[in-house]
Amino acid sequence: MQDDVVIELKSAWKIFGSRDKEAMEAVKSEGLGKTEILERYGAVVGIADCSFNVRRGEIFCIMGLSGSGKSTLVRHVNRLIEPTSGEIWLMGEDVMKLSSTALREIRAKKIGMVFQHMALLPHRSVRDNVGYPLEIRGESKARRWNVSQHALGLVGLEGFEDRFPRELSGGMQQRVGLARALACDPDVLLMDEPFSALDPLIRRQLQDQFMALSEQLHKTTLFITHDLDEAIRLGTRIAIMKDGRIVQIGTPEDIVTNPADDYVRDFVQNISKLKLIFAHTIQVPVNDYVPAAGEDLGQSPRVSEDVDLDHLVDIAVTTTQPIVTTNEKGEDVGVVSKDRLLQGIKGGK
Amino acid sequence: MSQVLEEAPEIDLSDSIREFSGSNSDYYIEKFAEIQGTSETVNPWNMAAAVLGPVWTAARGMWTMFWLFTIAEMVALVQIGKGIWGDLGAEKRAEAAGFLERADEIRRQAAIDAAAGDDIEPSLQIAHNLQEAAENSMIAAEALGSTWWIYLLVGLVLLGLLRYLLGRYANRLYELQYSAWRVNTNILSGFNWQRIGYSVFLLLLIVPVTLYRFTVSTPVAWTVDVPADPNVFTVTSLWLDGWFDSTANMGQHFFDAIVLATQSVLDGIELALVDAPWPVVALLLVLVAWRVASIRVAIFTAASLAYIGLMGLWEASMVSIVMVGTASAFCIAIGIPLGIWFSRSERAYTAARPILDLMQTIPPFVYLIPIIAFFGTGRVPGVIATIIFAMPPVIRLTALGMRQVSPMVKEAATAFGATPRQVLMGVELPLARPAIMTGVNQTILMSLSMVVIASLIGAKGLGQEVLIALQYVAKGQGILAGLAILFCAMMLDRIVQGRFQRQEDH
Amino acid sequence: MVEETTVQNTSSHFPDVDITQSVHDFAGTKGEYYATEFKRVQKSSSGYCWTFNLGAAVFGPLWATARGLWGLFWVFAVLELVVIVMIGQGLWGDLGSDKFARADRLQTNYERMIERVENAKEEGDEQGVESFQKRADNLAAARDKALAEGELAQAGKTRLLIVGLVLLALIKAFEGFSANIAYERQYTTWRTDSTVRSGLSWKSGLLGVAIVGFVYIVTLIRFTSGDPPDYVAEFPIDNRFYLGVAGWIDHYFDMASRNFAFLFSGISQGIRIILDGVETLLIGTPWPVVMAVILVFAYRSAGPRVAIFTAAALAYIAVLGYWQESMATVALLGTASFLCISIGIPLGVWFARSRRAYNFARPVLDLMQTMPSFVYLIPIIAFFGTGKPPGILASMIFGLPPIIRLTTLGLKEVPKDVVEAARAFGATDMQILRGIEVPLATPSIMQGVNQTIMMCLSLVVIAALIDAKGLGYDVLVALQYAAKGQGILAGVAILFCAIVIDRVVQGRFKDTEKGG
Repeated sequence: MQDDVVIELKSAWKIFGSRDKEAMEAVKSEGLGKTEILERYGAVVGIADCSFNVRRGEIFCIMGLSGSGKSTLVRHVNRLIEPTSGEIWLMGEDVMKLSSTALREIRAKKIGMVFQHMALLPHRSVRDNVGYPLEIRGESKARRWNVSQHALGLVGLEGFEDRFPRELSGGMQQRVGLARALACDPDVLLMDEPFSALDPLIRRQLQDQFMALSEQLHKTTLFITHDLDEAIRLGTRIAIMKDGRIVQIGTPEDIVTNPADDYVRDFVQNISKLKLIFAHTIQVPVNDYVPAAGEDLGQSPRVSEDVDLDHLVDIAVTTTQPIVTTNEKGEDVGVVSKDRLLQGIKGGK
Repeated sequence: MSQVLEEAPEIDLSDSIREFSGSNSDYYIEKFAEIQGTSETVNPWNMAAAVLGPVWTAARGMWTMFWLFTIAEMVALVQIGKGIWGDLGAEKRAEAAGFLERADEIRRQAAIDAAAGDDIEPSLQIAHNLQEAAENSMIAAEALGSTWWIYLLVGLVLLGLLRYLLGRYANRLYELQYSAWRVNTNILSGFNWQRIGYSVFLLLLIVPVTLYRFTVSTPVAWTVDVPADPNVFTVTSLWLDGWFDSTANMGQHFFDAIVLATQSVLDGIELALVDAPWPVVALLLVLVAWRVASIRVAIFTAASLAYIGLMGLWEASMVSIVMVGTASAFCIAIGIPLGIWFSRSERAYTAARPILDLMQTIPPFVYLIPIIAFFGTGRVPGVIATIIFAMPPVIRLTALGMRQVSPMVKEAATAFGATPRQVLMGVELPLARPAIMTGVNQTILMSLSMVVIASLIGAKGLGQEVLIALQYVAKGQGILAGLAILFCAMMLDRIVQGRFQRQEDH
Repeated sequence: MVEETTVQNTSSHFPDVDITQSVHDFAGTKGEYYATEFKRVQKSSSGYCWTFNLGAAVFGPLWATARGLWGLFWVFAVLELVVIVMIGQGLWGDLGSDKFARADRLQTNYERMIERVENAKEEGDEQGVESFQKRADNLAAARDKALAEGELAQAGKTRLLIVGLVLLALIKAFEGFSANIAYERQYTTWRTDSTVRSGLSWKSGLLGVAIVGFVYIVTLIRFTSGDPPDYVAEFPIDNRFYLGVAGWIDHYFDMASRNFAFLFSGISQGIRIILDGVETLLIGTPWPVVMAVILVFAYRSAGPRVAIFTAAALAYIAVLGYWQESMATVALLGTASFLCISIGIPLGVWFARSRRAYNFARPVLDLMQTMPSFVYLIPIIAFFGTGKPPGILASMIFGLPPIIRLTTLGLKEVPKDVVEAARAFGATDMQILRGIEVPLATPSIMQGVNQTIMMCLSLVVIAALIDAKGLGYDVLVALQYAAKGQGILAGVAILFCAIVIDRVVQGRFKDTEKGG
């Protein structure tokens, strides 16, 4: 299990300002709040006491509004920003203890990063942009060209190798950014709001393409977004940030069904639960279920307990009977009545 | 796990390299693959480049390399030429001949003196020394003449080295060109007889003449300097003199009117600054600095004025400030309306831009001459020269500032029914103010830098002090007067900028 | 329908805002008067109306200070100062007095001369009589002329007085008429910004009285007292101080140039070596070769039109016999620009990296550009003597700032996110500088190069003053002998050099932009 953790942050703090160290001491000894630190030390808290881990192959989304510190947080993983205190582990290595050479090595070989505003190199062709990480690693030109061609193929941009980024549309540019991050075949992808600057339609397309790629490549991904829909669509697990703190970490279903506080509740209120909540969450154990008049569980349709509400609704409209759920062995385990189904759609348990 | 890296298939560049190289493609496909296939630096040898030298670079469209290697090879060829047919001892032999001639002359004189009964011993000694020097020079000439092989060797080694370098790096450079060509097809590609012809033509033009010029001891005159007929110069300059005189005569009233107008403005300002008692002027300047800018600027102004006064440069400084003030006032009064006009009329701006460019490109020295021709010497022509030099920034920055005013704001004003005049006064000028103020500031500084140049044509003031110091290498005085100019410049600049910053704050 | 009526209401039947109370608050004293006048001003659609403030007209600048209108105070005070000087000159000025003094002197000389004529007559010296008489006549003529000039100046005095008085009346009228309008503006700003001065301030008024009093009194002393104290007319300082400091500076300069002679001559030698190389290339090489290379270069970097222009310019230079001078100028320019660029770009990179270094260097750069070029010619002569290398050094002082500034600017404007991306992929600082920052800053750097070349050109010409030869020298000689024709011909040659260089460099600059 421990081997499976690829990224781990332990109680990371970042305080911006010239007196950050003093402020950090004060936080540790006195437990000062954000406003007090600003007043007393003129320092701004970027992230406060953030701990989380990302497991191999999962897409871990960090969701928060602008200014909540999520972009700062992701830059701690490859130490583009130095934490004021805390530990950062990447694949069993203590990132904080790395020399600057070793750090560059890790950045070049193990981490790929995609940026909100693409950050492509405007003076280089698309091919040379994608090949840039390999160039930094000192790979031969032939290899760079082969790999960038292949990576561009993965994101569906064959034939654009010899163009300049400015000749491409925003969506295509971001696909170049993605190809660049993939080119060095990193173990970890850091994606800093990669789709935020795009039109909704293009965003959707790129999300789909990214999910497909993810299935294919199984990259461990740390994905930053301000869009809860996106987080829920893509994320294996989601961390919600507010004012530099992580408020809640959980699967999309957890977040939606069990918001940790009012802040999260406000967020999830308008999210459609149909695809997030599964039968096993709302079912009543079959033994506890008391059939109402006219109900006969024998005639009920049977579905796996792992189907989502969307699927249940589809079935419910075709029958008057409650729905019986089964486990993987085909045994009846629970019953979902229409009432339960409606409650589930509303988000209750 | 590493799908992207491992699975990336080889891409085949042969077709594209074939298209790029035009001829001899298979060779380049092989060499490029060799270069691209390793992260090490490899330099595969290119025989054609080594043999053909600059011609190869031209044929392959690498013109920068062509010029570099042509010039470098020219140096090598000159050495070889000197070694093979150059007359290396020529200079020394000429020297020896000169010595001998002088010795002969002294002996003749000595013979005459001897006849007159003078002591000719010292003269004979000198003649003897000269004779010896001549012999030494002859020996040196012989020695130099026998060093021909050193020149030859150096030249050959240099040439060989250059060709070796070209052969070594040719393929690398050509591969770089190929990579650039993939992205930008405007970059020259292929193999082209026309380019070869062109390069051979250029080489034939350059090499023989240069070789001749540097290897022959007394080259034909036309290779050394342009065989210009001095008459052309004399006639043209006389004709120009005549033209200037007649134009100045014809337009005398016009030029006099300009002089008079400038003169009266100058007199007005001078009355206030030079004739008024100095404590009054000093007090007013300090107070203006304080009120307009800030207390710090006022202190700075007071210190500068104290320096100027203590150094006895008060009057000279005031004269200079008057000149700068007049010139700046004219520049601003003419420049801002012109700038507004240029921001309105694209055509006017297109017409005026080359003139503005010219006004800024020409060194001010140059237009002092027509100014003297038309306006004579003295401070008025000095002011006119200053105006020409200092006007462009305020025009440019006004036009720029006006163009940068957001069209949305102008549209909003127009939508409320504002007349063009109201848009100008109420919206455009206030919004363009930062740019205009920058222009004013630059104009003032440029006017001050003209103070010395203007004194070349007889304007008085600090410039004259510096100029005199320069002529007599009076370092101390020059620096003191120079500092005074600097302080005047900084004073005016700080006051204007202070005003500007204050407005920004509000 | 209903809406339409409301709209009409807003614009035509809106009740008047009563500003009386607030004007009272603002003005302090005489609130009633200002309330009426302000209303009049505000009623007029143009913002101007005929309203005369007697107090302002009489007291002028004093009124303005008392009311806290400092801007107006300066305008009034300076205008009145000019007028007072004029009236002072007109009433008591010693215009023409020097002429009268001269006439007096001439008169005594004349009398002396007549005496000698008499003496000569007595001695019977015919020749002496004639020559002395002639001189006496000349003296008399000169005396009459001086007297006439003196009287003319005296007449000018009255004219000055009249003009002064008329101007005074005009200024007073202007003061009276502009006062209320300006004061109303002040009131309007005061309504939104209560820190604006309001009311009648005795303190401020007294300051005004002090300033104006001082100005009036000193000016009056200057003109009325027949023999004004020297310290009023001229700064009370004699040359000794100036000469003392100058001598002291001379001394230290000489000492420094002696003690560091090896350093200065080393620098000179270094520059001379580069210059010699460039000169051999441009002057030594046969001119047809140089011309051909220049033409090809112009054609390749800026196109056929510039090439044709270049050909014409070169033909002009060659035909008029300016070839060697032009090439000498270009060699100076080339050496200066080359040195500027090779020093300036690394410095620019450093300043872009280190904020502290930049903050330290900025005032120096400002100074280098603000200081009139002639001023630093002086220390350069002191340390390096005259000739070409000092000329190049002076050009460098002038030409360095743009390239440094624009390199720094270009590097600072490189998008932060691109640099961050490179860092995220593990690039070293050197890789980022060479692969990203410098290529992206190239347009800005090229602009700096262009500006530097132009700056150097304008100084290379001036450097003729310290014996750097070239075309500037021809212009200088022409200036000294007012030889218009020659000066213009040389000037046009400079102009052609400047334009050709500018066009070619800009052509190259566009090339790099296209490629980048």
